[in-house]
Parts: sequence; structure tokens; C-alpha cells
Amino acid sequence: MSTSNEPLTHGMDIASLGRGEPALEIEKEKICLEVKDFNLYYGEKHALKGINMKIPEKRVTAYIGPSGCGKSTLLRCFNRMNDLVDSVRTENEILLYGENIFAPSVNVAELRRRVGMVFQKPNPFPKSIYENVAYGLRLQGINSRRVLDEVVEKSLRGAALWDEVKDRLHDNALGMSGGQQQRLVIARAIAIEPEILLLDEPASALDPISTLKIEELINELKDRFTIVIVTHNMQQAARVSDYTAFMYLGELIEFGDTSSLFTNPTKKQTEDYITGRYG
Amino acid sequence: MNTSSSNTSSSIIASALNDPANIRRRAWRMLKDKLVRHGMTIGGLSVIAAILLIFFYLLYVVMPLLSSADMELAQQFEQPNTSAGKTLHTAIEEKNELGVRFTEQAQAIFFALETGKVVAEFTAPKPEDAEITTLAVSDPARQVVGYGLSNGRAIVMKHKYDITFSEDSEGNRVRTITPNIAYPLGQAAFEVDAQAQALTHLAVQISNDSNMVAAITADQRLVIASITKEVNFLTEEETLETSRSELSLFQDAEITHLLLDKEQVYLYIANSKGMITRFNVRDPAHPVKEEETQIVKGDIKLTSLNFLTGDLSLLVGDSTGKVTQWFLVRDEYNEQHLTRIREFNDLSAAVVAIAPEERRKGFAAADEKGNVAIYHTTAQRTLLTAHYDQALENLTLSPRADVLMGQDKQGKTYVWDVHNEHPEVSMHALWGRVWYENYPEPSYIWQSSSASADFEPKFSLMPLAFGTLKAAFYAMLVAIPLAILGAVYAAYFMSPKMRGVVKPTIEIMEALPTVILGFLAGLWLAPTIEANLPGMFSLFLLMPLVILLCAYGWRLVPKSIKYGIGEGWEAALLLIPILLTCFIAFSLSHTLEGLFFGGNMRQWLTDHGITFDQRNALIVGIAMGLAVIPSIFSITEDAIFNVPKHLTSGSLALGATRWQTMTRVVLLTASPGIFSAVMIGLGRAVGETMIVLMATGNTAIMDFNIFEGLRTLSANIAVEMPESEVGSTHFRILFLSGLVLFVLTFVFNTLAEIIRHRLRRKYSSL
Repeated sequence: MSTSNEPLTHGMDIASLGRGEPALEIEKEKICLEVKDFNLYYGEKHALKGINMKIPEKRVTAYIGPSGCGKSTLLRCFNRMNDLVDSVRTENEILLYGENIFAPSVNVAELRRRVGMVFQKPNPFPKSIYENVAYGLRLQGINSRRVLDEVVEKSLRGAALWDEVKDRLHDNALGMSGGQQQRLVIARAIAIEPEILLLDEPASALDPISTLKIEELINELKDRFTIVIVTHNMQQAARVSDYTAFMYLGELIEFGDTSSLFTNPTKKQTEDYITGRYG
Repeated sequence: MNTSSSNTSSSIIASALNDPANIRRRAWRMLKDKLVRHGMTIGGLSVIAAILLIFFYLLYVVMPLLSSADMELAQQFEQPNTSAGKTLHTAIEEKNELGVRFTEQAQAIFFALETGKVVAEFTAPKPEDAEITTLAVSDPARQVVGYGLSNGRAIVMKHKYDITFSEDSEGNRVRTITPNIAYPLGQAAFEVDAQAQALTHLAVQISNDSNMVAAITADQRLVIASITKEVNFLTEEETLETSRSELSLFQDAEITHLLLDKEQVYLYIANSKGMITRFNVRDPAHPVKEEETQIVKGDIKLTSLNFLTGDLSLLVGDSTGKVTQWFLVRDEYNEQHLTRIREFNDLSAAVVAIAPEERRKGFAAADEKGNVAIYHTTAQRTLLTAHYDQALENLTLSPRADVLMGQDKQGKTYVWDVHNEHPEVSMHALWGRVWYENYPEPSYIWQSSSASADFEPKFSLMPLAFGTLKAAFYAMLVAIPLAILGAVYAAYFMSPKMRGVVKPTIEIMEALPTVILGFLAGLWLAPTIEANLPGMFSLFLLMPLVILLCAYGWRLVPKSIKYGIGEGWEAALLLIPILLTCFIAFSLSHTLEGLFFGGNMRQWLTDHGITFDQRNALIVGIAMGLAVIPSIFSITEDAIFNVPKHLTSGSLALGATRWQTMTRVVLLTASPGIFSAVMIGLGRAVGETMIVLMATGNTAIMDFNIFEGLRTLSANIAVEMPESEVGSTHFRILFLSGLVLFVLTFVFNTLAEIIRHRLRRKYSSL
């Protein structure tokens, strides 16, 4: 796999992961999202096959796997972004704190407020930095200058961007660098205080230094949000996540705490993948 | 090239690269690239060059409008036949070959304008015992003068010119103009005053069927003689019937001028106190004094009084050198008053001569210090001022206003060539409110031609520019909401399959010839709407209501049915209620008309003070709106559809509804495209010709009423260009209006482009 995005300064020995940290056990975690025997079809194509897993609260859960394995598709199910794709059909449930997000009574817009998402490519709106961050609040009808000012500052600080942009809050967001844009997008996502933050390959379009910053940011944010991240970069998964899920051809092959998955995979496919035999 | 064994693959490539065929191919590739690059540069430059050429050609045709007049002394000669006495009046014939002077001895001396040589002389058959006391000049086009005599009689003479062609010794055709004198009222002196008092002032108007001679006698009576000519239809014998009336004038000041208009309706008497008295002599037997107006006040004297051509306006020259134009204006009580309209202030001493042009509303004036000026009244323009050492008298302009002739005190005659092609045009005449003859107030009028030669052309471009904008406004009022909202729906909500049908269909509408749209609008839509006005209006009210109701009803429809129809197909279903509403509205039309509008809504509107034309701005709005919708729709739809998906996903992922995403992100990002769509639509609406030509009635009025017609700059060019004389003022003004249209579109487009670029910089998508 390509390692061009890998932060060299942050290179880690995978085998040393988990040492000196309290061991994580999924059974002891509070569960935030539960995927129950979930199937998804793109027309005739069976894209997700009987996925069963639990995503713990206030942890970083990473999905790894080769391209086309369905990890992004699954991520997009958590806030029902797949609804926008024609001819998508789903079977069975995904529970958010015990409630099925596919139930007819669910308000999709409200679900997406609770389950925020950051995409691979930075996508700030063609508005000022301030308005980008305030966007989600304005959608909810919050227009009070005082509240907005406060939330914007808090979110930008939360996304480690405040010091860089505080003097040009009303400049167009499109004038920022790619890394800054991605952190702005994260600030925008956390401004509405979602319960879960879905990150879909958030650093794959960025340079090594920006990637490093994003990873540091993820570390800081996990105290406040449940984070689910999809990445192609195994080192990144190893560095930032608490739990890792390996998917292959639409199936969940293995799921467990990151250090055990990387040091002691139980499935052959997982081992082949993390040792670079295919992917 | 290195051909070492370890490098065999690169040596293969190197030899392939050096292959002559490949070298040729690469050279050919470079050549193609160059050719295309230069070709594109040439193409782009030629487009710019073509636009510039059009612009400069328009400017080239328009430029003469802006030049002022000039004149140069062509001839000067001693007074022809000085022995015949002082000149009382001069005139020039149509071809500028001959001039004539009427002397105080009742002689008409015809002379060549080039040399001053006398060509012919005529002497009026004046009774031995009578003296010439005064001279009257009729409407210059009729070439009639009258001499008043001391015995209460008058001799009326008409100077005529017969043109014959002959061949000279070398076989060239030679034109000979032979002057002649006719006596319309008979050779013998015509009796004006039965009491045989000397005539101090005389006015004569001769026309085909009725003639009038008015005079002031030495004992201050106004005598009017009306002569009607009757031809016996059996013997073709002419008999003149004369009726006379007289009226005592109680003037406390000396009478200085007497004028009678060529319609033989109004008679003006000016006195030395600057007062003009107007008589209505429509009934010659009973002249009625209608008003007395103080023209000049105080020490200022009225020194010169003439009609402007058409005899509707008086030109008053006073002792300060000011020339003022006066004409009759109807007041709110429907009474006419002589009103001061405008003044010309270039002369410095008493105005001694005013020479009106024969075919345009211009005139020349001279003061006693030798200043000469040429003016145009409608345009309120001073075209020329000149100074000569001697004061000029007997100023006269040739019928085509291209020769000016004057005499100094000694009778020395000067002939100038005048170049004054387009005096009618000034910024004020084109864009300002102009007070035209017979109008109650200054106004914006476009009326370029008429049947009569002495008509005052009204060249205000304001009603046309206004009509252009009005038509564009109503068209955009129809097109913008429909096109943009339709595009939003098609790009963002409609199912892709339906979009695949709808979009090309609307785009193909653009190919519809506008002449067909205009034809349908004028001949089918206009009468249909006129006949179904209440239906039309109830449609405007009902349609949004029905659509909203349907939208609400759709929410209540069970999901199973909705899925059966498919998301994004609601619009197709909506067609049924829309058509149904149209049908109901139009079938109820006559009932509604009967119930609320007394059976005739058009009449009802008219009774309520709303003018209604069958072909009106509403029709144009609908027809031209329809023509403009495809361009706006297509560009807007593309702009919205091309908003990057990651922006909409980003918005939706933040918890925005589709509508919020639409209004807050998509429209914003697509705004440069939407803006240029609207500007392109507007540009098309402004320049559109056939629809407005056929569906507006082409009335050049300035009224924003949606039920009244209009005339646009483009339609005006289409209507009038074929009938305008090449090189005439009218022709050039049509080009000017083309230039205005060109500049208007140019400014619109440039502004639009600048704004679009700024928007794009601001909202450029990633």
C-alpha cells in the first residue's frame, strides 16, 4: 500500500502498540452504535453482508480493509448518507443507543445532527470561516450573535485552528490550506456537538504535517465524542484508534481492540492484510 | 546517444525517436499545435474585430448627427437692377439657380444666384395713381407675395419656375429654368378695402380653394377679404366669390406686424408696445378676437415677427437680440393661449430679419450689428453663429435650406452655401422632454414621420428605450421565477429519468423561431386573453393555490402509492391538476365576467381608468418570457447540477434538510451561473425583435401599465428602417438607436461579466 501520506516523524512500531496502557475490553464499554446482521445492496450487488458489531462510546474505532471492502459504505449508513444514492436497499437494523436509525419515525436531518461526518476531501462551503462553523447552528435556528461567537471560538479551538484563523474569521474559507480546511470541517462538525463523529479517510488528501495535526486532533477529541474513522493507512489506524475492525469483501472479518488486532490477529485474512500481503 | 549494452532498452527508444518517420510525425504534431493555437488567436481576434467594426460602422453613420452647421460665402454681387428700387422681399427657387427680389416699385427681378445677372423682370400692373404701401409674404412654399396699395387695393403675385430640358450643340442635356409671374387673384389690383383707404399692413394666404387677404388700413381698421374660387362643372369657368368683413381696431400703439396663418384660422397683430392680438378668422365674416398677449415688456421692442414653417409657431425677434418661439397651448379650460416655449439668445442687437426654413423647424436670424445665427427650434439648438461687418436685411433660405441669401443696406447681395444636414438632433431632443407644437406640455414622443412636409418630427428615444426596458421587465417577470425555480427542481429534486426528458425538451424550445412565437402571441394569444380576461386572472390566483394544495395533499398520500410513482416524479403528476385548473378557470371566465364585471371586463377596466390594448405588455411578457425561459433554465440548471456533490453532502451531514441545503449552499455556490443565466436572458429580451414587433402593437408610449402596448428600439428599427430615406436624419437616428441598443447590451453584458467574476471568486466551488 502507499505510504506517501505517512507521517514519518510519527512512525511507530506496530508490535509495541498497547504496551503500558490498560487493556481495552469491548464487553466493559458502554455501547453507542450496534450493527445487527446488517445487509446492504446496491441494486443487485450485495455490498455489506451480515455485519454484526458494537461501537463503544467515547472511543476511536477504526475500519481498515482494502479498497471496495465496504468500510465507507458502512460508515455512511451510520448517518444514512447512503439514502442519497439511488437504488440502495438495506436489511435489518443499526441501533443508535438502542434506537433503530432506519425506523420510519426517524428524522434524518436530526439523526445527521447527532451523527456528524467529515469526508475525505475537505469541503468547506464558499462562505467565511465563521459562517462555515456557524452553519450547523444556523440550520437549527440558532442565530444569536453571542451564542454563535462563543460556539465558533470553542469549536475552532477544539479543532486546533483558532490561533491560526482568529484574525481572519470573516475571510473566505476557500483561501485556507487543505489541512486547515479539513480542520475547519471538523470544527464545523463538532460545533453542533454530535454524539458520534464519522471520519471518512479524513487525512488521505493531506500532506504529512497536516495529517499529523489531524491525528493529534482525533486524540484530543475522543474524550468528548465517539469517533469512527475509516482509513487506508494501517499505521494511522494503529496510531489513533482504540478498536479496529477489518473488513474484506463486504464482510466484517475481525473486530477487536487495536493492539490485539495488530499484534495478534485471529484470522488469517487479517494477518495477511496487516502484514502487507495484499491490499 | 549512449548505446552501451546495459542500456539497450533506452537505445531502442532512442533509435525509435531518431527514426525519420517519427521525427516527421513529431514535426507534424508541433505544426498542428501551432496551427490550432494561431487559428484560435485569429478566430478570437476576428470576433473582436467584427464587433469593433459593427460599432465603428454604427458610429460612422451616426456621427453626422452630431456635427454642427457651417456656411461659406459663395457669391457676392451688386444688387441686380438697382434702378428698380429697394428690395422688400427675396426668395430662392428650388434648384438654387435663381433668386428673385420684389422691389418697392412692385417689380419682381429674377437673377442668377451665381452671377447676380438679371434673368427676367416683371412689373405688377399697378394703377397709376396708387403707391405701394406695404408687402405681404404668404407661406413660403406657395411662393406668393402681395403688395398693398394706397388706394385700398392689393396685387397678389406668385413667382413660378418652369423647367425645360434641351440639348446643346454637344448633345448634353441642359436644364433651363424660366421664371414667371402669375396673378392668383387676377391681374387687376384686387379691392381689399371698400372704403379705399391706404393699406398699411397686409397678409395674404392663397390656397387651392380658398384665399384670404387681410389688411390694416390707415384709419386703423382690420379688413378681411375671403375669396373662394368656384369652378362651374359644366363650363369649367372659374368665378371668384369674395366676401368682406371689417373691424375697428382700438389700438393705442402703432401696429407693426400682421400675420395670417396658412390655414386661414388665426390672425396675429403685433403693436409697438410688444402686444400681440390674436383673432380667430375661421369664419371670415365674423372675426373674433381671442386673446391679447404681452410678448415683450418695458423698453424691449418687438422688431421681427415670422411664422415658423407650418405656421403654428411665431418667432419673435426683439430689440435685445433674443428670438423667442411662441405657440398656442390649450389650458385646462380648453382655451388656447399664446405661450412662450423657448428662446434663442445668440444675437447681440435688435433682430432685423428672420428666415424660416421651408421644410424643417429651423430658421436663420440676423441682427443689426451683422450677426447671423442658424437655429433649430425643436432641438433647441444653435447650429451656427457668424458675424459680418454689415447688418443683413431680406434674409432668405432656399427651399432646401442649403443656401442663405441676404442683402446689406446698399443692396449688395451675399449668397452663402449652408451645410446643415441634421439640425433636428440634440441631446435634449433625443433624451429630454421637448415641448412640441400643439402639445399641452413638454413630453417624450417618438413620431418620426407624417404625411405633411411641415410636420415637426419627434425624435425622442425615451419612449423606445422605455418600451425596451418595459418589455424586458415583463418578460423577465415571467421568465425568471419559472426558469429558475424549474431549474432548481429539475437539477435537485427531479428523478434523473424525468430530467433526461425535461431538460432537452426545454432546451429545444430555444430553437423555436421567435417569429412563430410572435405570430402566435399576436394572432392567437392576444385575442384569447382579451376574450377570457377574468379566466386569465383567476388562473393567476388559482394556480399557486392549487399547486400548494396538491403539495399538501401529496403528504397525506400513503407511502405505498408514493413509492409506486417514484421519487421525483411528482411533477409529472402535478400536470393533471394544472391542466384541470386551466380548463376550469377558462370555462368559468364568462360566468365570472357576467357576475363581477358587467359582462365585459375590458370595458370594466376602461371604465376604471385602466387603458386596455389587445396587444399589450402582458402578451409580450408571456410570449417573450417563453422565448427567454430556455436560455435561463438551461444555464441555471447546469450551474445547480454542477454544484459539487461533496458540498451538498457536507451540508446534509451537518443535519441540513434538502431545502436548507438548496437555499444555503447550492444556490449560493451556483449564484455566478444563475446570475449569468439571468443576464443572458435579459440581453436576449432587450434585443428581441420579432416577438415585440408582432405582439406589442408598436405604440411608442411611456406608460408602465401592463395592459398597454409599447415599442422597443429593435422593433422600431425593423418597422421604420425600410421606409426611411437613406442618409436622412431619421435614417441616422435609427442607426443611433441601434447604437444605443448595442451600447445597452454591451454595458449590461460587461457589468454582468464583472459581477459574475466577482461572484465566482467569492463562491467558487472547490
